[in-house]
Amino acid sequence: MAAIETRGLTKRFGDVVAVSDLDLVVEEGEIFGFLGPNGAGKSTTIDILLDFIRPTSGTVTVLGHDAQSEGRAVRQRTGVLPDAYHVYDRLTGRQHVEFALEMKGVDEDPVALLDRVNVADAADRKAGGYSKGMRQRLILAMALVGDPDLLVLDEPSTGLDPNGAREMREIIREENARGTTIFFSSHIMEQVEAVCDRVAIIDRGELVAVDTIDGLRHATETGETLYVSVTELDEGVREAVAGLDGVGSAAIDDGQLRLTITGGSKFAVLESVDEIAAVQDFSVIESSLEDLFVRYTTETQEVDA
Amino acid sequence: MTWRIVAKKDFRDAVQSRALWALVAVFVIVSVLSSFAYVEAPELFGEPGGATFGGLLFFTAGIASLFVPIAAIVGCYKSVAGERELGSIKLLCSLPTTRADVFAGKVLGRAAVLGFGLGVGLIVGLGFGAAMLGALDVVAAITFLFVTLAFVAVYATIVVGLSATTGSTSRATTLALGFFVVFELLWDAVVLGILYVAGGFSMPNPATMPEWAFTVSQIPPSAAYFSSIVALLPDLASRANAEPAQAGTEAGAAGGESFFASPEIGFVVLACWLVLPLVVGYVRFDTADL
Repeated sequence: MAAIETRGLTKRFGDVVAVSDLDLVVEEGEIFGFLGPNGAGKSTTIDILLDFIRPTSGTVTVLGHDAQSEGRAVRQRTGVLPDAYHVYDRLTGRQHVEFALEMKGVDEDPVALLDRVNVADAADRKAGGYSKGMRQRLILAMALVGDPDLLVLDEPSTGLDPNGAREMREIIREENARGTTIFFSSHIMEQVEAVCDRVAIIDRGELVAVDTIDGLRHATETGETLYVSVTELDEGVREAVAGLDGVGSAAIDDGQLRLTITGGSKFAVLESVDEIAAVQDFSVIESSLEDLFVRYTTETQEVDA
Repeated sequence: MTWRIVAKKDFRDAVQSRALWALVAVFVIVSVLSSFAYVEAPELFGEPGGATFGGLLFFTAGIASLFVPIAAIVGCYKSVAGERELGSIKLLCSLPTTRADVFAGKVLGRAAVLGFGLGVGLIVGLGFGAAMLGALDVVAAITFLFVTLAFVAVYATIVVGLSATTGSTSRATTLALGFFVVFELLWDAVVLGILYVAGGFSMPNPATMPEWAFTVSQIPPSAAYFSSIVALLPDLASRANAEPAQAGTEAGAAGGESFFASPEIGFVVLACWLVLPLVVGYVRFDTADL
C-alpha cells in the first residue's frame, strides 16, 4: 500500500492554480523529498494531505485513508511539522508536547521526547521565548509523539543552523529505520540529496520529475563534465576530440577542453584524448543536483514564456 | 473526544492573557466602587427606599451587561481568527482531531476563562456589597451568579463564533465590535427604526406600542440577560423597581400575559444566541481553507 497517493489533485485559489493535476505516489518506508522553488505548490499539497485546505478536484489517500473524509485517522498515525506555524507563546515546551500526547491518546514521557530533539533544558520555559531553531525542534518533538507511521515535514530545516540541520537529518534517518515513511519538502536540493530515496520536483503547481537521485542524474545528459588540460589546444584538437566515442560535446573553456561524457569510461576517453594531444592535467565535475533542479524549474518557465 | 483537551489547552493559554485580567481587575474595582456608592447613596440610583440586596443584584446586573460583552470581545475575538492568522491552528489541526472538536473546544475554553475571571469579579463585588449592607440572600445571589455565567457563556460563544468565520483578526475585530455597536449600543434606535417603518413611516406613539416591539427590544443578549434575571427573581425585581427596560416598556408592563411580552422571552433569546453562533461559526470554519 502506498503511504501517500494523489490522483489528479488540483487546487485553485480564485484564478490562481496552486496545484495542477498532481499524480504522486509515495511508497511505505521510503524517504521522499518534495522539491520545488518557493511558491511552487509544495505547502499547498502538504496542506491538502493534512486536510488544512480542500482540493478543488482530485483525490488524496494517506496511509490508506481518504485525506478529506478520514482526516482524523490519517493524523492519528501521522506526525507533522507544518510550514508557517506559530507556537503557543504562553505555553511551555512541556505543555506543547503534553497537549500532543493527550490529543493522540498516548502515554510517553514528554521530557524524553524533548530530549531527543535537544530542547529538554527549556522544557519548562514558555515557547514564546524560544529561538526559531528551538521552536522547530519543539514542533518536531510534537511530531514524533506516538511513533507515527508517516512524518510530514514542511521545510524542516528552516531556522536551523548547520548542526541543527544535521541533527534533523539524523532524526529523519532514525525514524525511517524504525519503519516510518518520511515525506518532506524543501527548496534546497542539498538537504534532499543527503537523505532521500526518491525525489519529486514540482514547479508552478506541476510535477516536472519523480525519480531517485541517481535516476535524476542519469535522466540528464550532462551527468559528468571532464576538464582536460592539454599541451596544445586549437580548433583542430577540439574537433578531433569531439569525434571520439563516449564524448557528447567538446568545447574550449578558459584554455582547457571541456568535455561532457555520455557514457562509458572516463579513463578511456582520457586515453583517447592523450593520443591526440598530450594530457597534462584533468578534473571531473559531477553535475550537482542543484544544477539539475535549476534546469528543471527554469526550463519549464521558459516553455511557459 | 478531543474537544475537552482543546478546551483545556485553550484555557491554559487564554487564562494568561494580561488584557483579560486587566479587564477583570477593572470590573472588580468598578463593581466594588459602585456597590459602595449604591449602598451609601441609594437615592441617587432611583431607590429612595434605601439599599437592598435585591437592588444591589440588579444594579450589578446593569454593570455586567456592559462588562461581559467587552470582556468577551477582548478575550475571544482572536480565539480562532488569531490562530489562523498566526498559523498555530496548523499545530492544532495536524493532531488527530476534527474542526468540530477544535471549534467546540475553543468555545468551551474561552467561556471557562471568561466565566472564571468574571465570576471571581462578581463574587468579590457582591461579597463587598453584602458585607456593607449586612444582608445576603443566598438563593438570589446564586441564581444571579448562575444566570450571569450563562450570559458569559453565550457571549463567549457569539464572539468565538464570529472569530471562526474569518482568518483575519482585523475582520474578526470589525465583526465583534460591529456586533457590539449594533446590538448593545444602537439597538434602541434599531427598534425605533423598525417601528417607524412598520407604522407607515410615522413616529411611533409610546401609548400604542405593539406587543412585538417588546419582543424585538429583547433581541440584544444583554437585554435578554436582564429579562432572564427578572423572570427568575420576580419578587426582588418588583421591589427593586427593575423591569425589562427599553422601548416597549409600556406594552411589556401592560400586556404581561403573552409569553412574547413576558420577561421569560429572555431565556429563549439567550438560547438562540447560543445556537446561532455555533451553527454559523462551525459551518464557516469547517469549510474554510486554513
